[in-house]
Amino acid sequence: MVKKFIYSILPPGQWQMPVIILLGIFVGMGIYIIKISNAGSYLSDDPETCINCHVMNSQYASWQHSSHREVANCNDCHVPHNNVFSKYFFKAKDGLRHSTMFTLRLEPQVIQIKDAGRRVVHQNCIRCHEPLLQDRSMLAVVNSDYFHTRTDRECWDCHRETPHGTVNSLSSAPYARVPQLENPVPQWLRNFMDKQNNN
Amino acid sequence: MANTKRKPIFYWLLFTGTVIIVFLLGMLASSITNRRAEKEYVYKPMVELKQGEPRNSEWGKNFPREYQSYIQTMDTSFRSKHNGNAVIDMLEVDPRMVVLWAGYAFSKEYTQGRGHYYAVDDIVNSLRTGAPSAGNPSPQPNTCWSCKSPDVTRLLGKMTPAEFYNGSWDTKGPEIVNPIGCADCHDTKTMNLVITRPALIEAFERQGKDITKATHQEMRSLVCAQCHVEYYFDKKKIEGTAYLTFPWDKGFSAENIEEYYDSYGFTDWTHSLSKAPMLKAQHPEYETYMMGIHGQRGVACADCHMPYKSEGGQKFTDHHIQSPLNNIANSCQVCHREEAATLLANVYERQDKIIENRNKLEELLVRAHVEAKKAWDLGATEAEMKAVLSDIRKSQWRWDFAAASHGASFHAPLEIGRVIANGITYAQEARIKLARVLAGKGFNQEVAYPDITTKAKAQQYIGLDMVKLNADKEVFKKTTLVDWMNKAKERESKY
Repeated sequence: MVKKFIYSILPPGQWQMPVIILLGIFVGMGIYIIKISNAGSYLSDDPETCINCHVMNSQYASWQHSSHREVANCNDCHVPHNNVFSKYFFKAKDGLRHSTMFTLRLEPQVIQIKDAGRRVVHQNCIRCHEPLLQDRSMLAVVNSDYFHTRTDRECWDCHRETPHGTVNSLSSAPYARVPQLENPVPQWLRNFMDKQNNN
Repeated sequence: MANTKRKPIFYWLLFTGTVIIVFLLGMLASSITNRRAEKEYVYKPMVELKQGEPRNSEWGKNFPREYQSYIQTMDTSFRSKHNGNAVIDMLEVDPRMVVLWAGYAFSKEYTQGRGHYYAVDDIVNSLRTGAPSAGNPSPQPNTCWSCKSPDVTRLLGKMTPAEFYNGSWDTKGPEIVNPIGCADCHDTKTMNLVITRPALIEAFERQGKDITKATHQEMRSLVCAQCHVEYYFDKKKIEGTAYLTFPWDKGFSAENIEEYYDSYGFTDWTHSLSKAPMLKAQHPEYETYMMGIHGQRGVACADCHMPYKSEGGQKFTDHHIQSPLNNIANSCQVCHREEAATLLANVYERQDKIIENRNKLEELLVRAHVEAKKAWDLGATEAEMKAVLSDIRKSQWRWDFAAASHGASFHAPLEIGRVIANGITYAQEARIKLARVLAGKGFNQEVAYPDITTKAKAQQYIGLDMVKLNADKEVFKKTTLVDWMNKAKERESKY
């Protein structure tokens, strides 16, 4: 059955050569795009991935100057961690929207989190800080409204500066220095070309 | 096999389809490459700028993003509830102002200003600058050009401030043609923010402050403070020259500035109805902004009126200087997390509440002027009227301080509310005294409120010949102005 299908789409003899070449171009172009768009990095948890397109530079800078830098990367807070499928589904959903917006130049100047993102971040606050919520003996001060302050609001209603500060947009870190993308041309090829040019 | 039975058209379609997909992938690859590269190149100078280059388009060749956003100040389509960037004939909206300014040029014409791009057009077209022609000078001095053009920066590089201010407004007409722009705030070589207008530097010096010590964040307001401030023409400093001066020596508040003016016995004009020695507030926008919460917290003018912006990887300042209400997302919401509609409602609430009392004060002032005229008509003496006129002066100064400060109902609502409240007190004080004077003359009834329901009626009431003023201006535009533009074109062709 499978064999029959493959044969059914195979081109006739005189077409095979051009089709193979075109498919080669197709695949090669695909690999090139994967390479220059750093597509592989999107599977990782590296915060530098989030500034591939330099839109999140100020968010990167504010995180990098926060205490969370020591213990959490972007994904620790901004994608779900209940299971691996949920994590990558959310990441793909967010990432595809971001890349579409960026390619079409639709990104807003002041980036604000969407509702789905808020819920994820809130759950992730709880994921790490759970003991504080469950065990009052962990706290220096216990308020009388202990139950309400921990159930009917989001963490950052009070912890407003955590971790990105209260100012959105480029204004938060207008001159931030952030890691730059590496040249996609590998070093050996550059060396080779330099040598050619010098000769 | 099945494939042998397919028609050639199938393979052609398959071929074309693949070509299209590969082509699109190529486009995507090219777009990614471009967008990786765009953050690498920030500054690519195309031309070398001469010191004091007044033509904004020349700067635009080196700074296309800034220039393109600046050019957007051409837009006149935004109307907020009370202001915006469209031309609004304020005298038509509020004919009471005609009576308040009787005897002063503002009663001829007062419009809501457009963007910086129109600075020269608007001063040239205003009835306030008159219709100068050969042997018939403008009623205004050259000082009026001070805030209109980077050509002023150019001229100040060649002459002293006093030489620049000297002479009637028409004498520098052919020299000043480029609207407010790059060279007004930026150094030609370093692009640093720079104070180009002597009045601000001198005002700082008189207070013992050195403006060159200002921080970058302060400069992002101070470059605006070169013009968006209360000022007056000091005619005593150099005889015969209207020397631009900021009255800040005693402080920024309406009372401080009034005290400064009183100590000099300064008067802008004598009111043609009440004969009161009046003060005209210019636009104390920087002063009032400094008295509000945003100013006190160190937010600069540019933070809201010229927010940072990115295009691709390039960070730059949005030079489309405008009302933040037309750009709430990038101005207010940088710090405030509320919805845009909520923030807009918050601004309008402040504006509405301030203007409610400002309108009341306006009505009281019209009444005070008209009643004072009645008192003079009935033979009141200078001695009887002295205290009354002083109160009218104080009251209208406070009204004007609030009205002319434009954004102050938002920038400093508390302070402006206070100033207007004091204005109302002084207006009523004047009217109580007037009631006594009038009663003393045997007139013990209400002085009729004039019919000033339209601008035309109000201007007729104070005796302005608008037909002649408008006709003269039309002649000016067709003759003198054309001449100026030709001379300027010839001069700039030699740059």
